[in-house]
Amino acid sequence: MKASLSVLSLALIFAASLSVSPVGAAEESPLLAPEVQAGKLPAMRDRLPQVPRVINLGEMGREPGRYGGTMRMLMGDQRDIRMMTIYGYARLVVFDDKGELRPDILEGVDVSEGRIFTLKLRPGHKWSDGKPFTSEDFRYCWQDVINNKRLSPGGPVGALLSNEKPPKFEVIDATTVRYTWDTPNPAFLPALAGAQPLPIAMPAHYLKQFHEKHADAAALGAAVKAAKVRDWGALHERRARHYRPENPDLPVLDPWRNRTAPPAELFAFERNPYFHRVDERGNQLPYVDRVTMSLGSTSLVPAKVSSGDADLQARYIRFDNYTFLKEAEKRQKYTVRLWPRGEGAWIALLPNLNTTDAAWRDLFRDVRVRRGLSVGINRRDINNVIFFGLAKESANTVLPESTLFERRYATAWAQHDEALANKLLDEAGLNKRDFDGIRLLPDGRRAEITIDSAGESGEEIDVLELVGYQWYKIGIRMFTRSAQRDVFRRRINAGQTVMSVWQGIDNGTPGPDMDPAALAPSSIAQFQWPLWGQYVESSGKDGEKPALPEALELVDLHAKWRRSATHEERLELWRRILSINADQVFTIGIVNSTLQPVVISNRLRNVPDKAIYSFEPGAFFGAQMPDTFWFADGTPGH
Amino acid sequence: MSDVIATRTLPPSGASLPHFVSDAPFDPRSAEELTQAQRDIYLASQWRLMWWKFKRHRLAVVSGALLLVLYASILICEFLAPYNQQTVNTDFIRSPPQSVHMFHEGSFVGPFVYGRNFHLNMENLKREYSEDRSKIFPIRFFCRGDTYYFWGLIEGNLHLACPSPGGTLFLLGTDRLGRDLLSRMIYGARISLTIGLMGVTVSFVLGIIIGGFAGYYGGRFDLVAQRAIEVTQSLPHIPLWLALSSIMPPNWSPILVYFCITVILGLMDWTGLARAVRSKLLSLREDDYVVAAQLMGARPRRIIFRHLIPGFMSHLIATATIAIPSMILGETALSFLGLGLRPPITSWGVMLNEAQNINVVALYPWLMLPVVPVVIVILAFNFLGDGLRDAADPYH
Amino acid sequence: MLNYIVRRFLIMIPTLLITSALIFTVMQLPPSDYFETYVAEMQAQGERADLSRIEFLRKEYGFDRPVVERYFKWIWGFVRGDFGYSFEYDMPVRDVVGERLALTMLVSFCTIILTWVIAFPIGIYSATRQYSWGDYGLTFIGLIGIAVPHFLLALVVMYFANIWFGISIGGLMDPVYFNKPMSWDKFNSILAHLWIPVLIIGAGGTGSMIRRIRANLLDELQKQYVVTAKAKGLSPRKTLFKYPLRMSLNFFISDIGDVLPAIVSGAELTAVVLSLQTTGPLLLRALQSQDMYLAGSFLMFLACLTVLGVLISDIALALLDPRIRLSGGSTK
Repeated sequence: MKASLSVLSLALIFAASLSVSPVGAAEESPLLAPEVQAGKLPAMRDRLPQVPRVINLGEMGREPGRYGGTMRMLMGDQRDIRMMTIYGYARLVVFDDKGELRPDILEGVDVSEGRIFTLKLRPGHKWSDGKPFTSEDFRYCWQDVINNKRLSPGGPVGALLSNEKPPKFEVIDATTVRYTWDTPNPAFLPALAGAQPLPIAMPAHYLKQFHEKHADAAALGAAVKAAKVRDWGALHERRARHYRPENPDLPVLDPWRNRTAPPAELFAFERNPYFHRVDERGNQLPYVDRVTMSLGSTSLVPAKVSSGDADLQARYIRFDNYTFLKEAEKRQKYTVRLWPRGEGAWIALLPNLNTTDAAWRDLFRDVRVRRGLSVGINRRDINNVIFFGLAKESANTVLPESTLFERRYATAWAQHDEALANKLLDEAGLNKRDFDGIRLLPDGRRAEITIDSAGESGEEIDVLELVGYQWYKIGIRMFTRSAQRDVFRRRINAGQTVMSVWQGIDNGTPGPDMDPAALAPSSIAQFQWPLWGQYVESSGKDGEKPALPEALELVDLHAKWRRSATHEERLELWRRILSINADQVFTIGIVNSTLQPVVISNRLRNVPDKAIYSFEPGAFFGAQMPDTFWFADGTPGH
Repeated sequence: MSDVIATRTLPPSGASLPHFVSDAPFDPRSAEELTQAQRDIYLASQWRLMWWKFKRHRLAVVSGALLLVLYASILICEFLAPYNQQTVNTDFIRSPPQSVHMFHEGSFVGPFVYGRNFHLNMENLKREYSEDRSKIFPIRFFCRGDTYYFWGLIEGNLHLACPSPGGTLFLLGTDRLGRDLLSRMIYGARISLTIGLMGVTVSFVLGIIIGGFAGYYGGRFDLVAQRAIEVTQSLPHIPLWLALSSIMPPNWSPILVYFCITVILGLMDWTGLARAVRSKLLSLREDDYVVAAQLMGARPRRIIFRHLIPGFMSHLIATATIAIPSMILGETALSFLGLGLRPPITSWGVMLNEAQNINVVALYPWLMLPVVPVVIVILAFNFLGDGLRDAADPYH
Repeated sequence: MLNYIVRRFLIMIPTLLITSALIFTVMQLPPSDYFETYVAEMQAQGERADLSRIEFLRKEYGFDRPVVERYFKWIWGFVRGDFGYSFEYDMPVRDVVGERLALTMLVSFCTIILTWVIAFPIGIYSATRQYSWGDYGLTFIGLIGIAVPHFLLALVVMYFANIWFGISIGGLMDPVYFNKPMSWDKFNSILAHLWIPVLIIGAGGTGSMIRRIRANLLDELQKQYVVTAKAKGLSPRKTLFKYPLRMSLNFFISDIGDVLPAIVSGAELTAVVLSLQTTGPLLLRALQSQDMYLAGSFLMFLACLTVLGVLISDIALALLDPRIRLSGGSTK
């Protein structure tokens, strides 16, 4: 392999960030200015890393803003405060709005041979409590957390393994660490950039007081007792939780940090005075001083938004709330925008290739049946009735916004053609019909499919209702049954479900460097082939070996991707995977790019008119950098 | 009076009194003689007396009649509904109610509806409908319309009223799939009205048996029954609903789920009735006629069910009548929690749950109309129950 | 009497034990547990939940032990005031419930007072003028409160209260007052929001209260002593208030068993719709996500209050009205 020589440098250091030449003197946020003046807080210059990340808003087509204000959001329950970590989207490396990886918290990453990752920190970077962020924080996380029997009984998992082996970890100096695997690990950086990131650094200086190895036994014992938890491990686990930022004392690197101890009805987040990003004028981000998340019944969120209770809101608002919010727009000072959603299919039908119903299992494994059912659906009609024709009729595949998109993926077997559907189904052995035109299965039963749904979205049920009518015309009777999500999952995994309805691939706008796991058997959570996924996931210990050659090929292609060292290699693998999926119709996508209403206060600036709304990549609002949003009437910064 | 005094003045003092003998035949029962009206009252049966008393509660009579009509109508809801409950009209999604007119531009046409113009407002993604006065669709009666299976068995297509060919008849508007609300409400009545009756039957049977034995036997049996009542009452309903419906296997058919829900509702509600039966029995069992029955060697079961319970059956019926509304409301609450009936079964609770949405309140208020029959039925049952209870003790 | 009270106390113990076992069973009934529900919920958004991590958490919370052992651990803790741990909030149950209890009680007290203030005069009026149009009309209004499903009524009232009076939607105060210490403004904000839940929850209670006062009073008014009093020329006022009214109020006392738990739980469904910061939505959410110690301990707490309430009402009734039989003795 030539890889040993080629040094792949991944979007090293910003040209701009080397020469910070702010136009005009940087100003202090009015929220922090009094503290700085009182000497309680260092000046901005000393709080920023030596090389901050400069966000050039002008180049992005946005305008530099002013400090101040409170951004209000509405959430359901306490677990939802993880949205702050997602929306904040400060990661070691991030996906930019074009889906490319670039360093964020890190100053740079060196990747050699696709397997040696050298992470370079920003000198002078500090945690939100003002303590330095150094390679010790990586060491602590690797040695004392990930490889601690009590805290991580399973040891390193997921993207920390390549070819099922963990990396070698080295501290090069105070701001450089290196992870070295024996084989390439293309999943590592995307995992760091995930909306739900892989944690590899933790604030060691704070957490050591909860760690058996570092803390004073008596003090730790007292702390465990005070927190009413079982042992130090449970305490550490709780205090260190970053993704759901419940611990207001935990030092973070995010734009805003939690200032509210649970339980509470309103979580207030305040700007992190040590945040590492600045705008082109040298003003430290974020502009908005505070973010609040108030909790309440999720069904009331649209109503509350309509009365002006949120400044930026998309969560818990559904497409069918648009009309209502638009009407209230006249009374309120907000604008409703429609952002396309980023799933590969908003609604997809997933035939269970592992169902225990032998007749249906054999039929579903016949590609003609899957294709026939797919072309029996009138996607145009569904789009018009439910989505006002604004969604895109498409198979379950990547969106046009993805660099991997090709038209044929979206249109393959996604046309409406009853004659073709009948022909395909007849050929597949479903040529006998009952008295009322319903086909008969080879074992003599009527062709009646019961589709399981998790039953929470009204759209899903309405779409199924329409699909039911359309399939009736090709001799298939369809029923729906809804169950709670956990029951739903359990039934699929046990093979009791013949077909289910769910979203398509989560990430509809991937680049070749993102893991194609969703398109190949890889996990038990894949409802079209749970057992095959489980087989691959457990390296053959559980589940069933994939029985279709095409599925086996997907497994193989995915494995190749996990070992790939170059961008080109991955691109080729992705194309092959997408082609197979398009041709084989393992999942029947109906529509994608459905619209997500986003309510934006008229005072809030720099929010794009249109952007893809998805969890991965993009972290919902995260990729749009809410730290660059600002209030037109915020406290003046000039 | 003055006449009598004038003619029958007392004789002068010392004179003897005049002799008087009535020669009419002596009737020793004359003091007990009854007029015809009185006889009717005193000799009337208990049930007849109750009926008389019941009639005095005018609202109860009206309510009773209304309920009879409603319950009769659920037998033929396929015929009454202008559309099939599942008929989807994707051209008329969320269409507001159409009003029935009799006169067009001053001339009598008979009952008809105007046509509808449809406009898709892409600005706020709203389907807007307006009346098209140039199109007149007379309503047809006893006509052929959507095909249905009467009680799921006999195929038919006769309806009480149907739209004109090419026209629509959405008297109460349509829902998000363009289904006719009125038709769904008519079909929903079948479920909602029977759910109350069946639930009450379950709780009635349980209540009488448990309360009956507890009240009559007393002692240890009473102690156990009382604890059971206490335990059941101290468990809040909602968690029990949640738990019981979560163990309902999801592959049960909607009909089975329906029965299961009635049983769940009944299981929650028997305690009140059991308590009433028990306390009534505790006092009644000391009465003379019970002692007499015991002395004659009647077995307890015979005494309870033959003598005691009929004695206050009327009370029980009144109590049960008042319990039905709580069952109907219970079903709506279950639907609210997402535990209720599943499509294709429609009930008022399911429809109300669909209307439990801010979009509906602000934009499509007609979808809340199923609340009207719920209110009417609950009021009717309450008034009927009141009337029955007032009438239950006719000897007052 | 003392004997009776002691006996009633002793009987409470098995009742509560059975109840606790029942509650625990009910919590165990769903085939999945909190962790599975959690995984399912995470996946709905595309988030990962490491399955090995779930196994770990299960062990962490003792879910690998037998059910019976967990039951006794829970109930023993309950007796000592340790209500267990909430998975969802990741903190002791007591801390989770604590804050919400005060607001719940505020709503409940206001509701009860409103109910009494309205129901009392109407009930008396209806009973004394049976079958008059006034009786029909007032009963009708009272019944409407029972008949309209509260969750729908709540939504409609809340929406229009916002449109017409500008009262912020949901909750018991303006969001700006969350986490703030009590102040005059906060108090005013609470008052401005309080009337909606109080009105809606009270509507049902008032309706049934009117009916009960009317029915009980009617029963009492037909008794012979009232007739006698009337015949002897006692003024109508006195005839009404002196005895019949007092006698007809016994049911207030027998209601304590229902009222006590209602005060702390509030009307769950209405509270969910209105997004009140009361215990009701907390309980419902815990039940749905199978946060079993939070739900179980709270239910157990409610059950204790019910049993206690019944006890209080029994004792009070026995004290007030010695004719009430203490218990059903055996026939022979």
